[in-house]
Amino acid sequence: MRGGEQLILGGVAFRSRLLLGTGKFASTAEMVRTVEASGAELVTVALRRFNPTHAEDDLVGPLTRLKITLVPNTSGARDADEAIKAAMLGRELTGSRFVKVEIHPNPHHLMPDPLETYEASRRLSSQGFIVLPYMPPDPVLAKRLEDVGCAAVMPLGSGIGTGHGLASAELLRLIIADSKVPVIVDAGLRAPSEAAAAMEMGCDAVLVNSAIAAAEDPPGMARAFAQAVEAGYAARRAGIMGRREQAVPSSPLTAFLE
Amino acid sequence: MTARELPDWLDPTPWLATARSATARDVARALEAAHPQEPELAALIAPAADGLLEELASRARDLTWQHFGRTIALYVPLYLSDYCSSGCVYCGFAADRQIPRRRLEPAEIRDELAAIRRMGIQEVLLLTGERTPQADFDYLEAAVEEAAGHFAAVMVEAFPMTIQEYGRLAQAGCTGVTIYQETYDPDQYARLHRWGPKRDYAARLQAPEKILASGLRVVGLGALLGLNDPLFEALCLYLHARHLLRSYWRGGITLSFPRVCRQRGDSVPPHPFDERSLARLVCALRICLPDVPLVLSTRESARVRDGLAGVGINKMSVASRTTVGGYVAPGPPEEGQFQVSDERDVATFCAALRRKGLQPVFKNWDSVFR
Repeated sequence: MRGGEQLILGGVAFRSRLLLGTGKFASTAEMVRTVEASGAELVTVALRRFNPTHAEDDLVGPLTRLKITLVPNTSGARDADEAIKAAMLGRELTGSRFVKVEIHPNPHHLMPDPLETYEASRRLSSQGFIVLPYMPPDPVLAKRLEDVGCAAVMPLGSGIGTGHGLASAELLRLIIADSKVPVIVDAGLRAPSEAAAAMEMGCDAVLVNSAIAAAEDPPGMARAFAQAVEAGYAARRAGIMGRREQAVPSSPLTAFLE
Repeated sequence: MTARELPDWLDPTPWLATARSATARDVARALEAAHPQEPELAALIAPAADGLLEELASRARDLTWQHFGRTIALYVPLYLSDYCSSGCVYCGFAADRQIPRRRLEPAEIRDELAAIRRMGIQEVLLLTGERTPQADFDYLEAAVEEAAGHFAAVMVEAFPMTIQEYGRLAQAGCTGVTIYQETYDPDQYARLHRWGPKRDYAARLQAPEKILASGLRVVGLGALLGLNDPLFEALCLYLHARHLLRSYWRGGITLSFPRVCRQRGDSVPPHPFDERSLARLVCALRICLPDVPLVLSTRESARVRDGLAGVGINKMSVASRTTVGGYVAPGPPEEGQFQVSDERDVATFCAALRRKGLQPVFKNWDSVFR
């Protein structure tokens, strides 16, 4: 399920390992150009921004005309019940089986609630959704979410919109080491080098919104992230040499055994 | 309650001296702080910050884009009634003003809501004055229920209520409630709120906690700028927000920046507050509360609104009528609670936002979250 040519989520294969969020763009047209430039095949949209009756404001209509898989997200939900209602409505409106479970009861720092995320993910997985849970970088929670049938885990690199990069690197390493399902770093990435670092570390994909949408040239930044993700993944597969604290001594300590 | 009797969490005294004496160097240092708090806010709102306003604006814009994207959330206010039971010196609807009064009847509420819905905007703010027999809690609750059937988000700005009443508003489909303290200085509050239920400073100050305790998601705070020393008000606004964030971890806060509008020949406000001061305050609060939505209404001119959109401000009203029934039959604007300065319609305002590289957001909530 991990480490092949393609990213496999819930039995569906994707070539691109860059997922895109859509909430922060200067215009819908720019969002569309950026999605196209990124090569992303999985694109998340908040249910709260679905607005089919208002063409100018609707994010979903223009995205359905692209060759991408829509992933409705439940942003705005305070608990599992609300997230499940939002997921149902998202599936009804888009026909997509994918859902990004996003439950952040605090509307300011937007940190995901581990208890409600677990509960919503468990129930939605059992109802046939392909569940991608946005979660705190907690290795135990990651295994719990895997056990209840999530198609991936999406630990945060750092807080949404903070640009603090892979602040959670040490915890991410534990998650990556033990996970059977793909690990997608979601939130906090600021620069393409951080996306490359996440992939080199062993992540299976990354999700970016703020860093691309807030750039001077979002399509240009999307291309840069796509290249970084590809480079990081290729490097990981090619085998990155280990670090040594000092040079190898010319008279090895074990020479006496020869 | 006098200024010396403010609750500890609201007392700005320790930082007021900084705000009054900060130098340009203090401001520059505050701008560099990774996690600005009270001392930094005090420097950033200080008169000395005026010389570094461009630097403040630049930091504020970056933080606004980072946390809210290049978007502006839109809402429209609906005045349900201009009856009132209080005599606030600065208000166009004060109960002792000799103006024709009316309230919208249920059919009129439906018509006004339909007129707003036709503008495409999915968040409405329902307003009344202080509690009166004509516009009491039941009247307001029925209006919320009606609006919730047509809008993704329904906010209310009205009189202080009990927790039970706020809970009933949430049940009726209300998303959140705005209640401005007007001035945080109890002495000045007493001078300006001459009589009526709004004279009760403590009842008003306690309302935001009741709102969040009731299960409503958002409380909107604000001070009416021009009524009192703006440094005092800015610090209190920040301290009030921090107190609520600590006390209600699931509660959302927004801050608004209404400036006093002169009413029908009234005297100038006691502490005139100019546009540069407004810009400084907005930027300073954005820097110190990077993830709190900051709101600007049509009290401000098109020039000021366009300038602050995305530079601190991330949520704005548009096409507002401040007269009761104003969307179906626009009355003379001077009969409103305050005179709208930015009179642009939705299309014109949105075009201005787009020229600035900002996306107007018509819907940023969903009725599924009720």
